[in-house]
Amino acid sequence: MVEEDFKRQINSLSKVIDDLDYYQILKVDQMSFEEDIKRAYFEESRIYHPDKYYTDPPEFQQKITAIFKRVCEAYRVLSDPEKRPFYTKLINGPDRKKYLRFDLRLLKAETEKAEDEGSSPLAKKYYKMAKTAIQNKDFKAAKINLQLAIKMESKNQTFLDKLKEVIDILASRKGL
Amino acid sequence: MGRAVGIDLGTSTSCVSIVKDGKPIAIPGPDQNLIQASVVSFLEDGNRVVGNSAKRMMIENAENTVYSAKRLIGRKYFSAEVKKAQAVSSYKIVEGENQSVRIRVRDRDYSVPEVSAMVLMEMKKIAEAYLGEEVDKAVVTVPANFNDGQRQATKDGGTIAGLNVLRIINEPTAAALAYGYGKGLKQKIAIYDLGGGTFDISILEVGEDVYEVISTAGDTYLGGDDFDDRLIDYFAERFMREHDLDIRSNRMALQKLKNASEKAKIELSEKLETRVLLPGIMETMDGPIDLDYTINRNYFGQMVLDLIQRTFKVCDEALQNGRLTVGDLDALILVGGPTKSPMVQEAVKNYFFKDPAGEVDPELVVSIGAAIQAATLTERKAGALLLDVTPMSLGIATAGGLMDTLIERNTPIPTESSRIFTTTHDNQTAVRIKVFQGENKFYEQNEPLGEFRLADIPPAPKGDPKIEVTFEIDANGIVNVTAKDKDTGRAQSVQLTVSGGLSKDEIDKLRKEHKDKDEEVATFKPTAELSE
Ligand SMILES: Nc1ncnc2c1ncn2[C@@H]1O[C@H](COP(=O)(O)OP(=O)(O)OP(=O)(O)O)[C@@H](O)[C@H]1O
Ligand SMILES: [Mg+2]
Repeated sequence: MVEEDFKRQINSLSKVIDDLDYYQILKVDQMSFEEDIKRAYFEESRIYHPDKYYTDPPEFQQKITAIFKRVCEAYRVLSDPEKRPFYTKLINGPDRKKYLRFDLRLLKAETEKAEDEGSSPLAKKYYKMAKTAIQNKDFKAAKINLQLAIKMESKNQTFLDKLKEVIDILASRKGL
Repeated sequence: MGRAVGIDLGTSTSCVSIVKDGKPIAIPGPDQNLIQASVVSFLEDGNRVVGNSAKRMMIENAENTVYSAKRLIGRKYFSAEVKKAQAVSSYKIVEGENQSVRIRVRDRDYSVPEVSAMVLMEMKKIAEAYLGEEVDKAVVTVPANFNDGQRQATKDGGTIAGLNVLRIINEPTAAALAYGYGKGLKQKIAIYDLGGGTFDISILEVGEDVYEVISTAGDTYLGGDDFDDRLIDYFAERFMREHDLDIRSNRMALQKLKNASEKAKIELSEKLETRVLLPGIMETMDGPIDLDYTINRNYFGQMVLDLIQRTFKVCDEALQNGRLTVGDLDALILVGGPTKSPMVQEAVKNYFFKDPAGEVDPELVVSIGAAIQAATLTERKAGALLLDVTPMSLGIATAGGLMDTLIERNTPIPTESSRIFTTTHDNQTAVRIKVFQGENKFYEQNEPLGEFRLADIPPAPKGDPKIEVTFEIDANGIVNVTAKDKDTGRAQSVQLTVSGGLSKDEIDKLRKEHKDKDEEVATFKPTAELSE
């Protein structure tokens, strides 16, 4: 059986876990090296891994699994060279509470923002029209506008990628 | 209460193990063999034979003997893989309800989990005869790259067999567990697992009692069976050119050629040349014609070179995803029958710049790892802690055709991710969500996992309801979905339709059926003898 002390510890951790950031969950410093993060993940796993409590009552297993999931999630983000700095910036910002759990969509949006929207005014305009068309799911119009934008700036990778995306969508729709 | 075992349910062979007095061992079957063929032969009198004795019936009872069923498990009838299997199988593969696959034998249709259950029941019996005790729990292994449907179907097979499936674990992870057991290792290891039907590569970091899977990749349709198929095609084509007769059009002849091809392949692991002689394989008006060819190792090597190269592409992917190079690895472990081939060994050595660990038995190691995991779960001794990952990304369909990825591949499990859903018109009471697994950014190109329906949403203006849906991947790698009303906190009902799967009722019914049948058979047989 699980000791009463440990049960109490799990209960109180369950209550506060939503207010902890990933560094706090793994009990590591924001400046830690990668190896420290891995070591912490292994240490925390030795405490919270649900397999150690497989024969315990289901309620307890549920609680410990919920905690262990957060440990895994914390490790997933903090061990990733792209996710970690992005996450760290957000939890140190004014909206800390909102960002305690990592959201893949935010990172994707950020990468997309870094796109090259064109340098000539005309190319910019066509690209903008293409994006509006994509939003309205008018992929044919999007394709034409992108082709026009590429005529202006044939080496713009953002335009080329978007065009490929749109062509793929059109193709997959045809297949339906 | 019964005992817990570990079972490697392979495409070609299966093996059952236990931990006995702290030592993991594989259990011999009635023929004293530690591995049994994953073959079920249905006899005319309604009985069935499973294991190595069933494999021997593959020729005489070709149409009613089912092998390599794992290549079909959890797949949809219209998939390319099922088509491929259909082309080379001597038993009938037909379409069942809901796009599922059925195997038709002696006028009865069996689901694939049912056939798996027959193999699992045989492994259960082998363990029971050895232990002299009931076995009712098992850890069952699957290829690391199996998707949700394949894992669920395997688990269903266990349930039908009357086993409480404690856990589904990944084959390469199980192998790592067996390799590291009791050694207190601190190493990064690569597991190269080329089996009868599937290929997996997993890279793990072992820290004494903790086994972390850093990354995994695989091909669920690449294995020794494909090597056999190359030989079959080669012999059949040559025979066709010389005699204008297609061996593949005759089920029994094809089965003979298949057995001979596998045998030749295995012989080429020992010898540089082998002869394949099938007297009177085809009948003609002018009498029987023999097939008599010799083939050497080099030539065979060229025939399968591209298959071996394909495994390295998968290895590249796993290393890249783990941000590793072969130089970072401390050990290499080979798993699966085909890795006994010197050609495969040579190629793998060249790729990894490393000699494989010598002390592991490539055919037993997976089931031994499963037994260690079973002991960990049931004996509270926590021998080893597995930190595994999900092999593919999980996402939902969005309006623009793109997949919204909720959980990326190689994410440690168990894990979960949530999304808030709402309605798009007034008083809408249900919302449908399509779920997919795969890496393509367009969901249509990925494997459909099923469709969830949020029902009984209280009528409200559009956009008002806020339903939080949580997608969980559990320790088995199986997806579970729950939903709750964000405002009231009330659980929201979710109905799931998995394409190609069995329903809970069907599983229950089959489990009872098999149990009854088993009891019936048991009354005719003397109780199993104890062997030690
Ligand atoms: N000595 C050998 N040389 C080459 N191939 C071999 C040898 N021995 C067995 N094989 C092949 O190995 C395959 C079976 O391997 P194994 O039993 O490891 O697969 P499995 O576990 O049943 O399949 P999977 O893991 O893909 O589900 C068969 O194709 C068999 O012909
Ligand atoms: Mg195997």
